[in-house]
Amino acid sequence: MRCPTLLALLAGVMLYLVMGALVFRNLESPKESKEHEKLLCTTRDFLGNHSCVTAQNLSDLIKSVVKAVEAGLDVKHSSTNFTSRWDLASAFFFCGTIITTIGFGNLSPRTKWGQLFCVCYALVGIPMFGFLLAGVGDHMGTGLRKAVWKMETLFLKRRISPTYVRIMSAVLSILIGCLIFLAVPTLVFKEVEDWSFLEALYFVVITLTTVGFGDYVAGANRRDGDLFKPLVWLWIVFGLAYFASILTMIGNWLRVLSKKTRAEMEELRAHATDWTQNIQNMSMDFRIPNPLDLNDPFLLQRRRWKRSTRRRVRRGALGHHGRQGVIGENGHLPNRWVSHTRSMTRLEVVRLGGGEVRNEGTRLGPGAVLGADSRVSARSEGRSLGRTVARSLSLSMPAARSVMELDYDLDPVAMMMLQGESVSLSESPESDSRSEVSSSDFHTYDMCTPGQGITFASFDASGSLCTVRGSQGGSRQVFFQEDVRFPVPLQQLPKSHNPTKPIPMSPIFSVKPMPLPMPTPPGCKMLDFFGENLAYIDESSDTLSDRNQPIEGAVSPRPRKPRRRSIRRQLPHRSPLKERRDSDMQPPSNPPTPPPLRD
Amino acid sequence: MSSGYKSWILLTGFILFYVAYLLLGALVFSTIERPVENKLKSDIQVLKEEFLNQSCVNATSLENFLEKVLQANKYGISILPNSSASSNWDMASSLFFANTLVTTVGYGHTTPLSDTGKAFSIFYALLGVPFTMLVLTACVQRLMHPVTYGPISMCRQRLGLDPLAATAVHFAILLLLVVLGFFVVPAVVFSHIEDTWSFLDAIYFCFITLCTIGLGDYVPGEKPGQKFRSLYKISVMVYLFLGLMMMYLVLRAFHRMADLHGLTSFFQLPHCDEDTEEDKEPIIEAGPEDQHEAEASAKPLDPASQTSYNTINR
Repeated sequence: MRCPTLLALLAGVMLYLVMGALVFRNLESPKESKEHEKLLCTTRDFLGNHSCVTAQNLSDLIKSVVKAVEAGLDVKHSSTNFTSRWDLASAFFFCGTIITTIGFGNLSPRTKWGQLFCVCYALVGIPMFGFLLAGVGDHMGTGLRKAVWKMETLFLKRRISPTYVRIMSAVLSILIGCLIFLAVPTLVFKEVEDWSFLEALYFVVITLTTVGFGDYVAGANRRDGDLFKPLVWLWIVFGLAYFASILTMIGNWLRVLSKKTRAEMEELRAHATDWTQNIQNMSMDFRIPNPLDLNDPFLLQRRRWKRSTRRRVRRGALGHHGRQGVIGENGHLPNRWVSHTRSMTRLEVVRLGGGEVRNEGTRLGPGAVLGADSRVSARSEGRSLGRTVARSLSLSMPAARSVMELDYDLDPVAMMMLQGESVSLSESPESDSRSEVSSSDFHTYDMCTPGQGITFASFDASGSLCTVRGSQGGSRQVFFQEDVRFPVPLQQLPKSHNPTKPIPMSPIFSVKPMPLPMPTPPGCKMLDFFGENLAYIDESSDTLSDRNQPIEGAVSPRPRKPRRRSIRRQLPHRSPLKERRDSDMQPPSNPPTPPPLRD
Repeated sequence: MSSGYKSWILLTGFILFYVAYLLLGALVFSTIERPVENKLKSDIQVLKEEFLNQSCVNATSLENFLEKVLQANKYGISILPNSSASSNWDMASSLFFANTLVTTVGYGHTTPLSDTGKAFSIFYALLGVPFTMLVLTACVQRLMHPVTYGPISMCRQRLGLDPLAATAVHFAILLLLVVLGFFVVPAVVFSHIEDTWSFLDAIYFCFITLCTIGLGDYVPGEKPGQKFRSLYKISVMVYLFLGLMMMYLVLRAFHRMADLHGLTSFFQLPHCDEDTEEDKEPIIEAGPEDQHEAEASAKPLDPASQTSYNTINR
């Protein structure tokens, strides 16, 4: 754990303690002073009623009585026949409390030898109990993990987000444990010891957390309950083991989660550096005024959206994704960009929400046919993005969201239609767990099809990267980037929380052939033209197409420039399969040409 | 499979041995403490008889009175003339109480009286105990490097010892230092500050506290006329935290040493993972990885597939 985190944790604990101290003081002091008053009254009455007793005598008596009681004697019942508190069952119970480190204290050794023996006994016994707890907890944990896994597969089959599944299984296991080890004993103690419900619950919690104050001890006053005490002790052991294993499980999950979040954050930071560099390069190349112009309303909107995205990223909502560069062959964005922005909206819609896709799809009149609606929804990560979807939709017409920018060659990639082959896609799942994740997040969509070759496109969960397969069989990466020059507002692409294997079926999904999209909607044409003009400007980011680069998920919904290799190298966790091209670093080999005229 | 059987057999063996250990302890405690208890009881009886004889008090009223006094004493309220006006629930004492609650020591010298207090302690403990465990584990993880890995590698380089011997030597030195620094020295300090405590009492107190048993028969700072009571209690809190951390550290170092020496594999117990391997389990495993996990969990005590032992052991 990093130092700042540690210090923060320490500070958190200190604050927690101070808060607790304040609350306890405010709760208990009044009662304490009341008790004090009562006692003084009683003493005064007693002394008054029995005038032959001096105060000194009384205090002496009280002192010795209190000492005896603290030694564990019960002086209330002045029976002459003496039953020791150190009978075998009680001593057994006492040893049990020592070993489990609960330490009630209602019974404690008073002799020197007893104390010395206690120390040695505990020295050996506590580690031994630790082993026992580890072993029992292990077996319990095994059963627990199996049950949890079964439950999880059951839930995952219903296509619920894995995060929720895990949370649900954690909650469920805690609840079951609470039921067995908290609720039932509470009721039992309530009946047997004649405590109130709160007192019984208080005893149960204080015991199971091994605090063990000792103000309430089960079986302390029973002389005949020789079977009761061992049963209580058994309950303690199993309860401790169960909660220890649960805590372990949750702790592991949290640790992995924090590690992943940290990794994603670092990647995000690297991407951000990349992106800024690209912007600067771009502005230098084409002498475009500072793209980070603050007056641009679209930029403002985008910035706003960026902020919220970053917040979500910080919360670890974004999955891990790689980045790929988009390479256009002739160095500019073809009109397809527009059509795809249009369809991108749709795509994002699709990506955003499983169930919402269908509705949104109908709203987008012209636009990509999402034959894969149902499938996509099946694969989607269950993001509840109705709001973002609506927002995206509201802003999408006619200015397509510039989240995605597709560079293709003119001809083949003009239309994107889904094809069955996705060799490159299926490659990445095998690379490593992370790219598995990213590939699993891919969704294939139909795209707006101006009528040309079918391309198979898949996006990662963020929608910011796409591998496009040209109809001639090559596949290109489509690079979705947030380009400042595009006067379109950014679209929010909330990222799902990234699990390593979110959906078992996802790799298959990406390979699955998709139905062909419908003919070009009329709206696409307008957007095509629009996008062409935009695409014309965006050239410096175009590098040569990288046909065979495997798909990686982009880190953030912002479309990115092709990464420079140097920066990419800083991220060691990148999949080894990701190829970096030298061409990424070079200026576009083809001079920008005027956007092709399309009808 | 045989290894599964073996682990079950080992576990039952452990449990039986543990029960036997408990019985032995019970026997010993019984034989040691019972005579003393008898004597104390008879003394008290005598005292009571004397009191009743010399005064006009009858037995029942005395018993009622005593009951009330004892009840109050259970909550830490005393009517003895020396008892100062300092409450048991002023800021420092409440902080001390919260600390004992959260570190699971739980002396019990002061306990919540009101129902609200009890309910609040429940929630406070449920949240605070894992929180404290987390903090302590984190600190120990950070400390492991300078305290354990560093010296061990130094040992190996400078003294040229092989890893096994180096870890053993290092562990012995660490144990000695911890005992000196966290048991002997504080015991001396406590026996000086608390007049009624002998040195053995103070060591007993240190041990019972640092193992978080917290019987409560000895609690520092409870003397009525204690000077600098708040400061004293707060320093005891700090001592508690540091001591707990050291205990965890020693335990972890011992675990690593046992790993190296093959003891944990022999007893089929979980291994102490390196820091880098602790996050073996990704948060969501679906498909093949879950299969793997299921397989791993099918062999419960396979040493290579366990999560860290220390996380299970409190």
